[in-house]
Amino acid sequence: MSEQLPAPEFDSQHYERPNQKWTCGRAAEGQPCRLGPSGRGRCEATFECSPALEKKEGEAKGRWRCTRPGGACETGPFPDGTCCRPIPRCSPVATLRARRGRFTLAVVTATVAVLMILLGSPPLRTKFINPGELSTPHSGDAFAKLTGSNQVDPTCVVCHQAGALGPSGMTAAAFHASPGPFEIIQLAQARPAELTAIDESCQRCHTRHLFHQPNVVRDISCSYCHAEHHGAGPMPSTTDANCTFCHADAAVMAAAAAKGAALAPDAFRSRVRQGQNEFPTTRPASGFTQVIHRFGGDHPEFRVHADRLRDPDTLQFGHALHLTAETIPKLPNGRKLDCAFCHQPDAAGVYYRRINFEDHCRLCHSLQFDSETPGLTLPHGDPDFVSAFLHSLPKQYADFAARSGIARTEEQKEFARQKLQHLQARVASGEDFENRIFFSTATTGPATQVGTMSGATRALYPGCAYCHEVKSNPHGAPKITKPILFDRWLGHGGFNHAKHSGVACSRCHQAEKSKATADIILPAKDSCVACHSARGGVTDSCVTCHVYHSAGR
Amino acid sequence: MTRFRRQLLVGGFLLALVSVLAVMVHCRFNRTLPKYACLTGWVLFAAIALLAVYNARKKIPFLPLGSSEAWMQIHVYAGFFTVVLFLIHLNFHVPTGWFEGTLAWLYVLVTASGIAGLILSRVLPRRLSTRGGEVIYEKIPAIRSDLRQQAEALVLDAETKSPVIAEFYVRQLNAFFAGPQKFWLHLLESRQPLNAVLVELEELRRYLNDQERAVLEKLAQLVRRKDGLDYHHALQTALKLWLFAHVPLTYSLLIFSLLHIVLVYAFSGGAR
Repeated sequence: MSEQLPAPEFDSQHYERPNQKWTCGRAAEGQPCRLGPSGRGRCEATFECSPALEKKEGEAKGRWRCTRPGGACETGPFPDGTCCRPIPRCSPVATLRARRGRFTLAVVTATVAVLMILLGSPPLRTKFINPGELSTPHSGDAFAKLTGSNQVDPTCVVCHQAGALGPSGMTAAAFHASPGPFEIIQLAQARPAELTAIDESCQRCHTRHLFHQPNVVRDISCSYCHAEHHGAGPMPSTTDANCTFCHADAAVMAAAAAKGAALAPDAFRSRVRQGQNEFPTTRPASGFTQVIHRFGGDHPEFRVHADRLRDPDTLQFGHALHLTAETIPKLPNGRKLDCAFCHQPDAAGVYYRRINFEDHCRLCHSLQFDSETPGLTLPHGDPDFVSAFLHSLPKQYADFAARSGIARTEEQKEFARQKLQHLQARVASGEDFENRIFFSTATTGPATQVGTMSGATRALYPGCAYCHEVKSNPHGAPKITKPILFDRWLGHGGFNHAKHSGVACSRCHQAEKSKATADIILPAKDSCVACHSARGGVTDSCVTCHVYHSAGR
Repeated sequence: MTRFRRQLLVGGFLLALVSVLAVMVHCRFNRTLPKYACLTGWVLFAAIALLAVYNARKKIPFLPLGSSEAWMQIHVYAGFFTVVLFLIHLNFHVPTGWFEGTLAWLYVLVTASGIAGLILSRVLPRRLSTRGGEVIYEKIPAIRSDLRQQAEALVLDAETKSPVIAEFYVRQLNAFFAGPQKFWLHLLESRQPLNAVLVELEELRRYLNDQERAVLEKLAQLVRRKDGLDYHHALQTALKLWLFAHVPLTYSLLIFSLLHIVLVYAFSGGAR
């Protein structure tokens, strides 16, 4: 409902001045004085008029006349010339605008005061201006001890020189920065990832910047890849953009290739992995300078496949035979031999423990050389020990008798004599026997006739050469080439088996088709890309497999 | 199409265009320019400074610096654009740390109060003109005083002096006429305050004679006028009150921004 509001019923000559700071205290009653308060909010009310003195000719005193606007008052001025109608004084009221100004001033003052308090006290300042919690490596006890800082009251000065300064010092430091606050154009012209002054702080502990390959064209600022003040825990992972900054730049890669070509090959041999045997790959002629944008895209095939590399191990082993052949006996628990029997993860589950004869081979390859004495087996590991063992067979049989419960010495000697007699009946000579032990690769024994069935029997112990490369030695026991068992096949990338425990081994490793030891049954890149790609839905970032900082540098 | 709608359409289109361009520039240079955050920071600070200059412009109306309306339009659309710049400067992340968190909150509060003020300045004047009447805000106390005097004169009129009306005035209307009433209800466009008084006045009618009823009618008319005055007071106060948040927080934001610039340069990679 529209209603007519009252029209102002005041002197129309009086109009409001909201821009002024003060209004008459009587304005709220509708009776403001004509003069109004002073600029400082003081009431300036005096009298309604300033009487004028009129003197007629011949008069000595004259007469005071009322000059009130709107007509003279009835009483008129006092004899002393004072107006008889004093204006009641008031308490001027601040306008809304003035009150907003005062409130603004109060807020600004409070802001400045709070900032001065917080910036003036070093402990408060450190906490206040800290843009985010430091990572654990840069905030723990070890870091405090290393840098000599106080971990309870950490200070910015370990990395930032301005951290030791007060507000004025910080302001001076800001103006001495390069580029400075007034060099805005230089901000746009700054070269990406170039070393800055703060990198010097990093390199006080991380002493050398050449962590990466020696053919890196120019050093990258630490903070380009490593962002601090992003919370406790490890520093945030570097992004693919950090890597592709160089690796996706054809010019940078070409320059790196040229620089690498001028360096000695030994300059690149820096990787040291304690306790791990790494499969050797040859460095490409141009180094690892192929332009790479994504793992699923132009990332090169793994070196073992790209160069069709072969396992140089001389140990004869066929995965296909062990996993698929019907002749392979079942394990004591009744299960079929599988990958997990030999390939057992290390404590972290990341890689696998090295295969060894005692744990993984002896169960089937027990080194029994005498079918009548299956408990007596050859020693493993050193051909000299084997030779010595064979040359002391009477003693070995006697010791076996003792271990088997024959207590009396005479009975032990008799046991050994009988065993040797039976053995001598089966071999031409001791030398022939030793040669068979070392060099035989037979998998079957001589033909036999059992009832109506005849055929070759299974050789109990074919000989060392069945698995090993055995070379004759005219000066002593034959030489057996020591097997090379590699723990790491991808020298430039890591792989965490624990994270892939849900995937069957055969999905990546085609072990059931591998007949030769030389086969390297690592998956090809495409096998990884099937999952580690945008299509597969699993991360394909560079740092999933690679680290920038080469160990040992 | 009205002038206002045309302004809204053109301004909105330009704002959307510039915002999309800004985001495209962000995507293009975010990872390639090493000092990108500093650059966006300077652009954001310049935009905020431009917004703050509007207040100074109002203080010097005599200078030929364009119309206040044009400045207001620039202030509004540039204000919205700073939201895009702000998000770009933060790289669409929530800042951590006390100082940067406070700075971000100050920006949010200033922007929120500005948007609230914009909405109020678009909605409330329309409601005021719909309700009718024009009252200068500064004159409201005087008009209220005048209405009160009229009401008291009516109640105390010697010829029609009614003890029932007088008692009712002292009990109910004295406080009603003494000052502004029911700020929030008026802001919410509620008629409940007026209806409550009018209902009580109506109930009083059966106890009055004809002469007193005539007085009651006049009193009801004054009550309606006072309620209209309260409505104007509430809405005009709201129109001015949001500036109590917007202006002071803007100054705090500028102070924090300047300090932020100093800290960034003092502690950034280029500092020693």
